[in-house]
Order: sequence, then C-alpha cells, then structure tokens
Amino acid sequence: MSKPLLTAAPRPSSPKSMKDRLSRPQVSLQLMVLPAVLAMVIFNFLPMLGMMISFKETDMTDGIFGGQWVGFDNFKEIFADDRFWLAMRNTVGMSIIKLVFTFTAPILFALIMNEIRSNAYKKLAQTISTLPHFLSYVIVATLCLIFLDPQGMVNHLLMSLHITKEPIEFMAEAKWFWGLGSALDLWKETGWGAIVFLAAITGVNSEVYEAARIDGAGRLRCIWHINLPAIRSTIMVMLILNIGNLFYGGSNFDQSYLLGNMFNNDRSYTLGYYTLDNGLIQMRYSFAAAADLIISTLSLTLLLAANWTAKKMNGSNIF
Amino acid sequence: MGTSFRKSKEDIIVDILVWTCSLIVIAATFYPLYFVLIQSFNDGSDAAKAPIYWLPRVFSLENYQLVFKQDLLLTGLKNTLIRTLVGTAATIFVTSMAAYSLQRPNLKLRKVYVSMGAVSMYFSGGLIPLYLVLNSLHLLDTFWVYIVPYLFGFFNCLLFMSFFRNIPEALIESALIDGASEFKIYWTIIIPLSTPVFATVSLFVAVFHWNDYFISSFFITNESLQTLPVILMRLLSLSEAQQEIQRYLGNNGSSVTLESMRYATLIISIAPITILYPFLQRFFVKGMLVGAIKA
Repeated sequence: MSKPLLTAAPRPSSPKSMKDRLSRPQVSLQLMVLPAVLAMVIFNFLPMLGMMISFKETDMTDGIFGGQWVGFDNFKEIFADDRFWLAMRNTVGMSIIKLVFTFTAPILFALIMNEIRSNAYKKLAQTISTLPHFLSYVIVATLCLIFLDPQGMVNHLLMSLHITKEPIEFMAEAKWFWGLGSALDLWKETGWGAIVFLAAITGVNSEVYEAARIDGAGRLRCIWHINLPAIRSTIMVMLILNIGNLFYGGSNFDQSYLLGNMFNNDRSYTLGYYTLDNGLIQMRYSFAAAADLIISTLSLTLLLAANWTAKKMNGSNIF
Repeated sequence: MGTSFRKSKEDIIVDILVWTCSLIVIAATFYPLYFVLIQSFNDGSDAAKAPIYWLPRVFSLENYQLVFKQDLLLTGLKNTLIRTLVGTAATIFVTSMAAYSLQRPNLKLRKVYVSMGAVSMYFSGGLIPLYLVLNSLHLLDTFWVYIVPYLFGFFNCLLFMSFFRNIPEALIESALIDGASEFKIYWTIIIPLSTPVFATVSLFVAVFHWNDYFISSFFITNESLQTLPVILMRLLSLSEAQQEIQRYLGNNGSSVTLESMRYATLIISIAPITILYPFLQRFFVKGMLVGAIKA
C-alpha cells in the first residue's frame, strides 16, 4: 500500500551529495527553463553589455566587443548636434500631449462604459473599441493618409461644413503633426486602455452603490466618490509607466517613421528615428548606441523618480 | 424605501451622455474600417470618379483577384503566414515551458532567473547592440531573425506563471509519484488545463508577428523574405508616382487602380485578426486582468 516516496521525501540531516542536488526532476526542470534563459542572455543581456560600444568607434565587423575606445567623444558630438535637440523637443512634446489626451481618454471611456446598463451593447462597444489595438501601425498610417488626404473624406467634411475653404494639407504642414499623433493614438488605444480601468471598477461591491443611492447620491456623485477612488491606484501605476516612457514615447517612432516626410520633418523627427537614422542608415553604430544610452538612462531615471514620488504621495508604486 | 428607484433627471442626462459618447466612439472606430471594406469591393475606376461612402456602387472582386496574382504580395502574404505560425508556436512553447519550470518551487536558481526576467522587462540594450549581436550570429537577412530573438518574453511568461499557479499542486505531486517526468506533466497535464492563457498569449504573439514591419524593414534586405506590412508600405509610397503615370496613360484593360488594390491589400491584412478577435476576446480579457494585477 505505502511505498516509500523516494522523490517526495527529502532525507533530513544527511549532507546533500551532488547526485541529490542534480536529481532527475531537477535536470529536466533546468532543461525546460534553459531555452528561455539562453534567449534572454543572448538577446537581452548581451546587447546590454554591448552598450559599451557607445564609448568606442565600432563598425559592422567589430561586433559588440571590438572597436577602439574613444571615451566620451560620441556623447560630446551628440550634445552638439542640432538634430538631436530637434528630436528631443519633438519626442518630449509629442509625449506630453499624449500624456494629457491619450492617458485620460481611457479613464473617461471606462467610466462611461461602466454606466451602460445593456450588457449586449456593452460587449459590442468593447469589442469594436478594442479592435484597433490589434492593427499594425502601417495600417493605421495608411488609413490616416487616406482620410486626411487633401481630397479625402475629412477635408470634404470640413469644407461642406464651411469650417475651411481650402483643403487642409495635414501631412505637409508641420504644425499638425503632434496633434495628429495624439489623435491616431486616441483612435488606436482608447478602448484597449480602458480595459484595465473597467476591471478595477467592476471589482467594486454592488452594496456600496446601493448604500450610496439610499443616502441620496446621484449617478454623477457615485462616479466621483466611488468609481474614481476605485481606480485611483490603477491610474497611478499607469501614470508612472507612462512617464517612464516619455522619451521612447510608445508610438512616437511608428508615427515618425511612417508619416514623417520632408515637409513635416521639423515636427516629426523623433529620438527613435534619430537612433535609427544614425545607426542603421548612416551606419554610425557607436554614435547611435550612445544616443540610445542617453535615452534609456533618462527613461530609467524618470521611471524611478516618478515611482518614488508616487510612493511618497500615496503609497502606490510599481515595484 | 426599497431598492428600486425612479429615474431622476440626472439619470436621464447621464444616460443620454453615455449613449452619445459610446456611439461616437463606436462609429469613429468602425467606420474607417468599413470604408476600406466597401472600397475594396468596388470597381476601381468607378471609385476614382466619385467618392463612395456607404455601399459599393459597382460591386467587383477584381481588386482581390489582382492582388492574388501579384508575386510581390503573394510572397509577402506567404512569409507573413509562415512567420506568424512558426513564430507563435515556437514562442509559446519556449515561454510556457519556462513558465512551468519557473513556478515549480524546487527549481534551483529560480530567483536568479526571475530577476533576470524582471530586468529584461524594464531595461534593454537598445537597437544598435542588438543589431550587432544579430549580425555576429549571422541571423540578419535570414528567415530566423523573425523567430529566434523573440522566443522568450518575460511579460508573457508572467501571464503563464500566474495561471499555472492556480493549478492544484497535488495534481503535479501525484503525477510525480506515479513516475511522470516534469516535461510529461507539463505536456499532458498543464497544457490541456490552461487553454485560456494559451489562447491569450498566442493572440498577443501572433498579432506581434502579423503586424510587425520593423524587423522586415531593417533586419531583412532580401526581397523574397519580406512580409505583408512592408509590402503595404511600399504600395503606399509607390502610389503617388504610379497614379501620375496611370493618369497619363489612361486605364486600358483592367479597371483596377493602384488605389483600389491598396484597399484590397489592407483588408487582407486586417481580416484575420478581425475575424478571430471576437472569439478570442473572452479569453484574453481574463488573461489580461491577471497579468495587470500581477505586473
């Protein structure tokens, strides 16, 4: 009936032999995690080590370990480069606008969705509004070019409403670009972003609402006093992550690369594109890696600072 | 007083606002995609004459027929399909297997692996060092650059781990006692019990592979390895020039315009996810929530 459970029962007090430590289940567990660990080492940690090429002069054949040390030369050159500061201004500018609009929109949308009483309609609305999240930015950019064309639908509409006499050249005038970027993000991510907040609101016990209503609170006061506090910590976490992403700016690169052109360059040239342009197109690998190092150092500092501030303020943080 | 309430004035105002806002969002999201759909089924030269907003005016399948005759697009479609299938299967296998191992309490060095994963999630070496590493490994300009560097992602691993954690420990223990190997337990017990999380992560990974244009644009130069989004981009930039040429030459023979072919290509790249999505949605909303709480 009861066989000795060799694998399950450890023998106490006997010193562990090598054979014990590398028992068969242990070996197979290690083998199962091995491909993942190898992938991380090669494609995450080796490139991290490779950031040292920022302090070198490297070409394609050198790889990440070759090249001549040049100290801070690349960094000096970057800080003296007008294009870098242009890219910096555009990235931060676009990111801040997005932080205002595309960060608050999902919160509002979640609050609105939560007030819908019809479940079928709610589900339909959720399905449709989250769909664009799964579309490639190439598709979004194509749609943008189709609709905002001087002969496109948006201009037709604006002209028939007499808002503008001449068609607006959205893609050729630099001043539209930042707003355009936010609008595209708004279209693509609002529904998706709302899911997290909606989940937090759904977690509220329905008795709380009943109590509030008995006390005479209307729906707006319920939203203000119950729903918003319920998602406060989620908002903080998302805010921290968003601030940490200010210099990369999520979709900034996609928009810059896919919709940037010689006419709107002044507003569409971003840091992601700066790295790509110098690195893979002009093949100045060390220079571009140095630019990347600056950006990721800034990002990490900002993330930690935002996290620290949030912790000081109300005890919610992400780590 | 009871629990039923009459609708107050405020209730009605809130209802009106809620319905208006949500309808605007739905229309704004849905219409652009619908617009592309009707254009893709409309005769090309007819669409060029006057704008179409609601229904195809001259129904035609010619756009699609032409798309499926173009070598460039067919190669792109084929590459995208293979990449998505192989890439998703490989990533799911590596990630879920690692996740199983990582949530077993007796795995040695467990903490080291988990902290490595956490670091990899928040910090990266950036594009250029990765590019040089890929070059040294001779992965650039091969099909494998689509698959190998993306085999493991720690965020996805967390999703798997939090799901596996809810599988009763006793199930694994008793299988171990019966002499099953860890791999066999993962393969025959864990996988069949974890459909929702496998569906969720598969969707994420597949969407990444289907949509990505970056790898194809910068890590690949061989034209026969390019994927659909990149072909779409090329159609985009070519269109201006080509349209000029077409205008001068007139449309002899085919009534398909570059414009209408572009619409058909768009629909082909949007269709798979749009069709699959409603079925997978119920899985991933749950999966996402677990992940969001954990992360």
